Formats: sequence, C-alpha cells, structure tokens
Amino acid sequence: MKAEYANPFIRAASEVFAHETHLKMTRKSLELRKSPMPSRPICIILGITGPIRGQVVYSLDEGFAYEVAKMMLPGKLPAEIKKLTNSAISEIANMITGKASIDLAGEDHTIELTPPAVFTGERFHMDFLSIPTISLSLISEAGSIEINIALTEAQG
Amino acid sequence: MKTAMIIDDAAVMRLRLRDILEPRYEIIAEAEDGVQALSLYNQCRPDFVTLDITMPKIDGIAVLQGILLNNPQAKVVIVSAVGQKQTVFKALSLGAKDFVVKPFDPERVRTAVDRLFAKTLT
Ligand SMILES: [Mg+2]
Repeated sequence: MKAEYANPFIRAASEVFAHETHLKMTRKSLELRKSPMPSRPICIILGITGPIRGQVVYSLDEGFAYEVAKMMLPGKLPAEIKKLTNSAISEIANMITGKASIDLAGEDHTIELTPPAVFTGERFHMDFLSIPTISLSLISEAGSIEINIALTEAQG
Repeated sequence: MKTAMIIDDAAVMRLRLRDILEPRYEIIAEAEDGVQALSLYNQCRPDFVTLDITMPKIDGIAVLQGILLNNPQAKVVIVSAVGQKQTVFKALSLGAKDFVVKPFDPERVRTAVDRLFAKTLT
C-alpha cells in the first residue's frame, strides 16, 4: 500500500463532486486501516485489476446519498430521485474511480474497473479484503463520504 | 430523425443522455449490460449508439467489437469514466468515432453526436 494512492482519489472526488453536484469537498481525515470495511450505512464497492489491484469502497449515509442524487437530477420529482439514488451514487463512485485510474495507470498501462456494486444496511455480511487501506473522509456542506482505498501493486 | 441507442449500466446516466439527445434524436433502445446491448443492437439497428465501458457481463470494448463485426459502418460514441490513455487509444483504433469522458458537459455529447452526421466538406 502506498500513501500516494490517496492523492488521485482526493483530486478525482473533488472534481467529480464539483462537476456533478457543485459541492466543494474538503479532506477531513486520512488514516490507515487493516481492511476497506465501510463505516457508513450505504456502501459502493469497486474492484480494480491490472498492474494495481484491489478494492475501493465508498460509503455514505442515506441523507447525503439522496442530496447527491437530487443535485445530479435537477428538475426530477422526489419519487424518481429516490428510485435513482443508488444508481446516482454508484455512478459517482464509478466516475471518481475512473478519473483516479487515469493517474494510477499512467501512460503505458491499463487498469480495469469492475462495475460498482451497492450495498445498504448497518451491517455488511460480506468479507472485505485484508489489505492495508487508506481511509479518506471528505466533507461538504451537504454531507460526507468515506473512501477506503485497498490497493496493492500486482506481483511480477 | 436519426435513431439512437443508449448503452450504460447506470440508470441515472441513461436518463441524462436521453434528456440531452432526445430533442434532436429518437432514442429507440436502452441497454444496461453488454449482453443486452448486443442483442438489442442487432434487433433495432440504430443510426448511432452511445456506449459505456465499465458494465456487467460484457464490457464496452467487447460490445464495440461485437457491434462493428456485425455492422462495420456502425457509429459508436464511447461515453465512459475510464479515460485512461491506453483505453481511449484502443477504443478509437477499434473504430469508435469519439470518446467522451465522464463527467461530461451536455454540450460535449451533443457535439460528438452531431458530428457523426455532419456533411463532410469537399
Ligand atoms: Mg458503467
């Protein structure tokens, strides 16, 4: 695990949120953990393969998820926004990871992303990789998001 | 009116692309994974498609190859978050007409699509 994996995600998250929601995200904390296990009730998991591999786990609470979806869907009715909330936050996670992957891949490599998978509920009945993880917390005036980056360089 | 198919696993993106394109183009199909994309493409033969890359079952690069195998004249605009240099290069060299990186401005998508049907200057 390298600390420099954090910066591409911080940059990508600020740009994606600014573009999609007009929210200004600021880094509140950065800490090391033993796995990317999320600490908020909604989580979005993306797998990464290639020269750098592992998982990126985004987590946030329902209130912020709804706000993000609302800002991404101006002019839509509340019922429609509710129905599309999981899709909206998954796509935010996809765009952040996609943007960060441009920096991680560099000029000569390709990093593949899996489609985002969303899970909700206070308890996650699943195994997360035991990979040293950088846990970022980014805050805005409408809420905050945790980004757990569990990546390693592929061997060989 | 030219017809379009939108291929993206995110419902929010399909809705947004529909809102951007609909005044000028007729959206005749939407697909949310690569398998559905290939079978719907062959059924409805749209004038162009917007194609995501990161999707379940079959990814967009394989869908692009499948569509072009079936119709070498197919007009495909990639709309994807994976703007890595090698990925963009691969998609364009396989035959995609343009590569729009998410997040995008609506105008960028409109321009990419309008250009597909612009009369070439002689
Ligand atoms: Mg996708």
